[in-house]
Amino acid sequence: MVSKTEETQLSNLETQVDNGGGGAWEYLSLVRKLKVRRSDRVLKHGLSILNDPKKRSSLGPDEWTLYEQVAVAAMDCQSLDVAKDCIKVLQKKFPESKRVGRLEGMLLEAKGAWTEAEKAYSSLLEDNPLDQVIHKRRVAMAKAQGNVSVAIEWLNKYLEIFMADHDSWRELAEIYVSLQMYKQAAFCYEELILSQPMVPLYHLAYADVLYTLGGLENLQNAKKYYASTIDLTGGKNTRALFGICLCSSAIGQIAKGRNKDDKESPELQSLAATALEREYKQKASDKLSLLTAALKGLKVSS
Amino acid sequence: MAEDLVLDTAIRDWVLIPLSVVMVLIGILRHFVSKLMRSSQVPDAKIVKEGQLIVRARNLRSGANFIPPRSFRARRFYFSNEENGLLHVPKGQAPNPQAQMFSDPNMAMDMMKKNLSMIIPQTLTFAWVNFFFSGFVAAKIPFPLTQRFRSMLQNGIDLSTVDVSYVSSRSWYFLNLFGLRGLFSLILGEDNATDDTQRMMQMSGFGFDPTKSLGAEKDSLDIVQHDWALPKFEQRAEAVLRKVLS
Repeated sequence: MVSKTEETQLSNLETQVDNGGGGAWEYLSLVRKLKVRRSDRVLKHGLSILNDPKKRSSLGPDEWTLYEQVAVAAMDCQSLDVAKDCIKVLQKKFPESKRVGRLEGMLLEAKGAWTEAEKAYSSLLEDNPLDQVIHKRRVAMAKAQGNVSVAIEWLNKYLEIFMADHDSWRELAEIYVSLQMYKQAAFCYEELILSQPMVPLYHLAYADVLYTLGGLENLQNAKKYYASTIDLTGGKNTRALFGICLCSSAIGQIAKGRNKDDKESPELQSLAATALEREYKQKASDKLSLLTAALKGLKVSS
Repeated sequence: MAEDLVLDTAIRDWVLIPLSVVMVLIGILRHFVSKLMRSSQVPDAKIVKEGQLIVRARNLRSGANFIPPRSFRARRFYFSNEENGLLHVPKGQAPNPQAQMFSDPNMAMDMMKKNLSMIIPQTLTFAWVNFFFSGFVAAKIPFPLTQRFRSMLQNGIDLSTVDVSYVSSRSWYFLNLFGLRGLFSLILGEDNATDDTQRMMQMSGFGFDPTKSLGAEKDSLDIVQHDWALPKFEQRAEAVLRKVLS
């Protein structure tokens, strides 16, 4: 997670570097530390350092780190020649290195030579079966080829060992949603909520999945998670507000014939609707009529 | 003793200071030697998995109130059922760390390397100090001490009449041996190989039994009372929205 101060620091450095104010190396170090994706800039500024022998040698041993960073950025930007040159330099300096071997595998992958890349990765995994990065690359490769089911298989195998890696759970959840396997996705989102209970986005995504699954119990749960999203975001999440309205109307339709004594917090929906109307009035007043029509259709408008 | 002993300044220049300098240099040398000899340890898949398992179980315990009761019960069953739960360790299957050590020569080798890099220089310096400086009074501390400190400060001098505030050279060696840790962590960084306390921790941690922590985690998971927090959130959301709208 990137904190706010780091973000402002990053953007300050970015404008400074872009306008030729120097500090390229500091910028690249910060990018590496925060693990943000700025491949085009990294490529541009990194190359300008690497092509200048004086600047390059002043880095000392960090030179090789920069080579690696630029190589990955170049692959991301599809300038494979640059990546190839960087990897060649690294190969010369560190023969037999697994880290360079990983880069070579990535280069093969970037070229689209799937079978060769697969071979490279599996030989690397034989040496060190616990290399998380390579496991993840394999998943990404399967996904890039369109073999989503294979990707799921790899991810499940990976999560069997590294089950506390929440980023992978998130990836798995998104893949399941894309395949409309909502029950599995719900499980993954529960796992995410467990690992980071205060992140509203996971509550929201879980609520979405529950709402999509349907059924009275799921709808009620979905409403609860939309409510928690509202609480965690301080009522600023429009999607959660809409979610409340949709859930209440769906619950109302299902529970029409049944007894209504367990109807909880009838006020929440009307409050959500009013909040929505206010939001639209302030930010997109020309679309207000659409909103009121939609809310009327849901019969939650007060 | 009525009158003070006079210590020759040559003792300061040729015993006290050289001893400290040599101790520092040897400490630095030891750090780099052990760094050279350290072999990169490949972690065992099972141990990694158990570590991650404990993290996940702990997450479940702390975040239990944020998922629906049914999901919580399913997970708890998955972790701690008696047949094939992940946290359930069958009795008698726990690997004995002692046996593990003997079966894995690398482990014993590692231990030996660590011990060698510690013991050899220590024996050598101790022999050196004993040979050249035995029986010296090397320094005087500027405050009086009780008789209890005699064995600590006057190791190697068998005179009960000398005031306790005088320090013998061998004791000075021991004081340096244990007292230089702070200096080493300053010049070599926090995780230096000379840190004896860390080594002690590792030694005692050697008998660390992952199955025990799995069992503990299972027990604490079993007694968790699930109290779903989400129904409360509806009221809280209402309050938030009211505040926003007002």
